[in-house]
Amino acid sequence: MISEFLNMGGYGLYIWLSYAFASLSLVSLYYSSVKKLNSIKTAEYLYQTEKSEEVSISAQANRF
Amino acid sequence: MFGIFKPRTFFNLASTSVFWLKLIFIFSIIIGLGLALVFSPIDYLQKDTVRIMYVHVPSSWISLLIFLIIGICSFVSLIFRVKVFSIYAKSLAPIGLVFSLISVVTGSLWGFPTWGTFWSWDGRLTSMFILVLTYILYFSLWSLIKDYNFAEKITNIVGILGLINIPVIKFSVAWWNSLHQPASITLTAAPSIHSSMLAPLLIMFFSFCILSLIIFLIRYKYEIINFRVNKK
Repeated sequence: MISEFLNMGGYGLYIWLSYAFASLSLVSLYYSSVKKLNSIKTAEYLYQTEKSEEVSISAQANRF
Repeated sequence: MFGIFKPRTFFNLASTSVFWLKLIFIFSIIIGLGLALVFSPIDYLQKDTVRIMYVHVPSSWISLLIFLIIGICSFVSLIFRVKVFSIYAKSLAPIGLVFSLISVVTGSLWGFPTWGTFWSWDGRLTSMFILVLTYILYFSLWSLIKDYNFAEKITNIVGILGLINIPVIKFSVAWWNSLHQPASITLTAAPSIHSSMLAPLLIMFFSFCILSLIIFLIRYKYEIINFRVNKK
């Protein structure tokens, strides 16, 4: 029964290739988008940290 | 006039709604795939190959819909100089590109067992191929041009010019002789497709729309932060 389902009346190759191509493309698009967002979030966090460090250093310098 | 489209609206939506959208997507895609691959009947002429339709048709609809939105956003961005609209368009472009590629590839894989060939340079296939090229051009211009304002202007023009191809794709099967069958579902008439096939088709379309929205929100958030970081 499973082999019959996979065979899809002799057209299994075309049908499964279509579904596989669509799935792979969409999964890669999703993960590449998430990866890009995470990398830019890290960049923004680093920038904010750098900025706050600069502020605290200048504040200390002003105190002395 | 464009207050509802301010950057914060979608940025907040991206932070709060993605989890729920993912749940809706998982639920709908399971039902959609079950109906498409198991429960939907085979076509009397095309046999099991008709199951490719449940991926091919929703992908084609979404790729056209996304380009239509890109075109409108480009127009608003160019004429009214509302920057956020070009960010919407930029965030949507990779999604449209992937769906147009899926449409072309699955169409070829469907074409071989039904028409006896993977490709034919007829009206529908050629105009769809032009859509893929337009997406690639739009996407590449954003990556290649380093000056943001210039890239925005050029991509807006490409987005608007690309709109010409949308009615060509839609009416190509009526204007020219084509291997491609005419539309079975239109906005103006009752669908000529049986409900047992229409249901999985619409559910797959709904799932793909939700997935597109999820990816759009993620990419939009990326573009907004990127814009902010680069501006600094």
